[in-house]
Amino acid sequence: MNGPPLEAEGLTLAYDQLVVAQDLSVQIPRASFTVIIGPNGCGKSTLLRALGRTLKPRAGRVLLDGEPIAALRSKDVARRLALLPQSPVAPESITVGDLVARGRYPHQGILRQWSAADARAVADALDATEVADLRDRYVAELSGGQRQRVWLAMALAQQTDLLLLDEPTTFLDIAHQFEVMDLCARLHEEGRTLVAVLHDLNQAARYATHLVAMKAGVVVAEGPPSDVVTEPLVREVFGLACRVVPDPETGTPMVVPARRDAHVRHLP
Amino acid sequence: MTAVLTLGPAVAVRWRRRPVVVCIVALTIVLVTMLVTLSAGRLGIPLSELPGVIAGTGSRAQEWVLWTNRLPRLLVAAAAGAAFAVSGAMFQSVTRNPLGSPDVIGLGAGAAAGAAAAALVWPGLVPVPVGALAGAGLAIGAVYLGSGAGFRAPLRMVVVGIAVGAMSMAFVQLALARATREDAQVVAAYLNGSLAARAWSDVVLIVVALVVLLPVALALTRPMQLVEMGDEVAVAVGVPADRVRTWAVVVGVLLTAAAVTVSGPIAFVALTAPQIARRLTRSTGPGMVAAACCGAAVLVVADLVAQYAVPGIVYPVGVVTAALGGVYLAFLLVREWRRSPA
Repeated sequence: MNGPPLEAEGLTLAYDQLVVAQDLSVQIPRASFTVIIGPNGCGKSTLLRALGRTLKPRAGRVLLDGEPIAALRSKDVARRLALLPQSPVAPESITVGDLVARGRYPHQGILRQWSAADARAVADALDATEVADLRDRYVAELSGGQRQRVWLAMALAQQTDLLLLDEPTTFLDIAHQFEVMDLCARLHEEGRTLVAVLHDLNQAARYATHLVAMKAGVVVAEGPPSDVVTEPLVREVFGLACRVVPDPETGTPMVVPARRDAHVRHLP
Repeated sequence: MTAVLTLGPAVAVRWRRRPVVVCIVALTIVLVTMLVTLSAGRLGIPLSELPGVIAGTGSRAQEWVLWTNRLPRLLVAAAAGAAFAVSGAMFQSVTRNPLGSPDVIGLGAGAAAGAAAAALVWPGLVPVPVGALAGAGLAIGAVYLGSGAGFRAPLRMVVVGIAVGAMSMAFVQLALARATREDAQVVAAYLNGSLAARAWSDVVLIVVALVVLLPVALALTRPMQLVEMGDEVAVAVGVPADRVRTWAVVVGVLLTAAAVTVSGPIAFVALTAPQIARRLTRSTGPGMVAAACCGAAVLVVADLVAQYAVPGIVYPVGVVTAALGGVYLAFLLVREWRRSPA
């Protein structure tokens, strides 16, 4: 399989009457860490939902390894593609271990509800996200950073090659944000294809191998961060005057907003 | 405390000890209450004579009391309690709200209106159970349309359901007002929820309904657990949320219609029993078997209370469950009120 593992073809995306995007096409490169960026309301989360088939496109189609995702059985898709929604709700009084075990659902049957492979996958997922010692704790009593890692563990327990993350760092303080991003980078290095929606441009530029910049439902630019994150593009997409300098830690492009007086002058 | 029960390579079911204990205790309560009910009152069969009556060596009066008068009633109570409770568990799960049970969202009242229509308004047109099913179907259809977003808007379902229930009860009153006095009295007793004079045909109907529908409910339990976590999480792990909801509603409607047919719209069993089961088992999802056991226990105990709590007066069992359930409903409403910002 050499084509893109996940691909959107001519999508029209809408909520009720509100059309968010029309004729939107995008390809997710295999084994990439793709990050979708753009201002609020540009349709980046909507696109991610369509890619993860939690939103039905009004027109167009999403292809998973070249097959139309809508025609595949729901469980078959869930064995190949996992998705972490923006603010999932844990049931009252569920333990970490039980929550993560629910990620095994696509691998189970009505009667065969548990297997050694399930136990192994859950243990691996707990280890990978470093929450193994929280296993018997209640999800409700965890900190935001711990909870996000637990949700990631549930998605990992699905054992998919593709992992979609909708703003995984929102609501976290800065240390926990980088903890989650480092974890994502490691998951990517292990060979998975990751697609994430992120708000923070500098985080996106630092961690992504492939960036997709969106504005008003249209893909404005895509490619490696060094090609995409430029002063003209940030101004065009976000309406922000800025300088782009190399990140002193990683050398990736870093956006530094212009001073207030410069800011006013540069706006169109 | 989780263990895995395996049966060859094809079956491996995870289970916890607590729900099993809860079910055993609930079923013990059912059995003991049945024995107490059989032996209570002027016509009661003393426990020492019960084996003899079952074996056919009792007096004719005792045989009549056991086989015609009390046993069908007890079996209907247990089975209808279980059916109400499972239906309640399904609807509470679909609406993600302990208030979203079929008796609160107008399903029981809809079934009663259908039964009243079949019995009084157009007698002989359709059998009463069919009328009850049609009424429940119409009620849930009205809730579906009225909520504006189908079964995806839990709170609106509850609000619209209360209105549908009120309209259904108005129709029932209308049917009663038009009926002759004798007919009306029979139907009025039934509409309070009554277990008096149950026949073996009632037992067969409700037991068949349970035998057919309980396995479907069991198969839906795990997907419903995931749908409770939100449609996005459910779809992400491969649960077709909309389809699961539709199935749950269909099973819930059928169970409510069957239970209402044999016992009338007994109030609040569907509301309380699944929640009792959930609290006792400390489970994080709908547990159908535990709900069924608790529902059977609640209704059998309520029926005993209705018959013997006040000497000389026999209340319809629905009056007892309404009184108990009303207190619980008030508690739920107050809690909901406190939770939502004023």
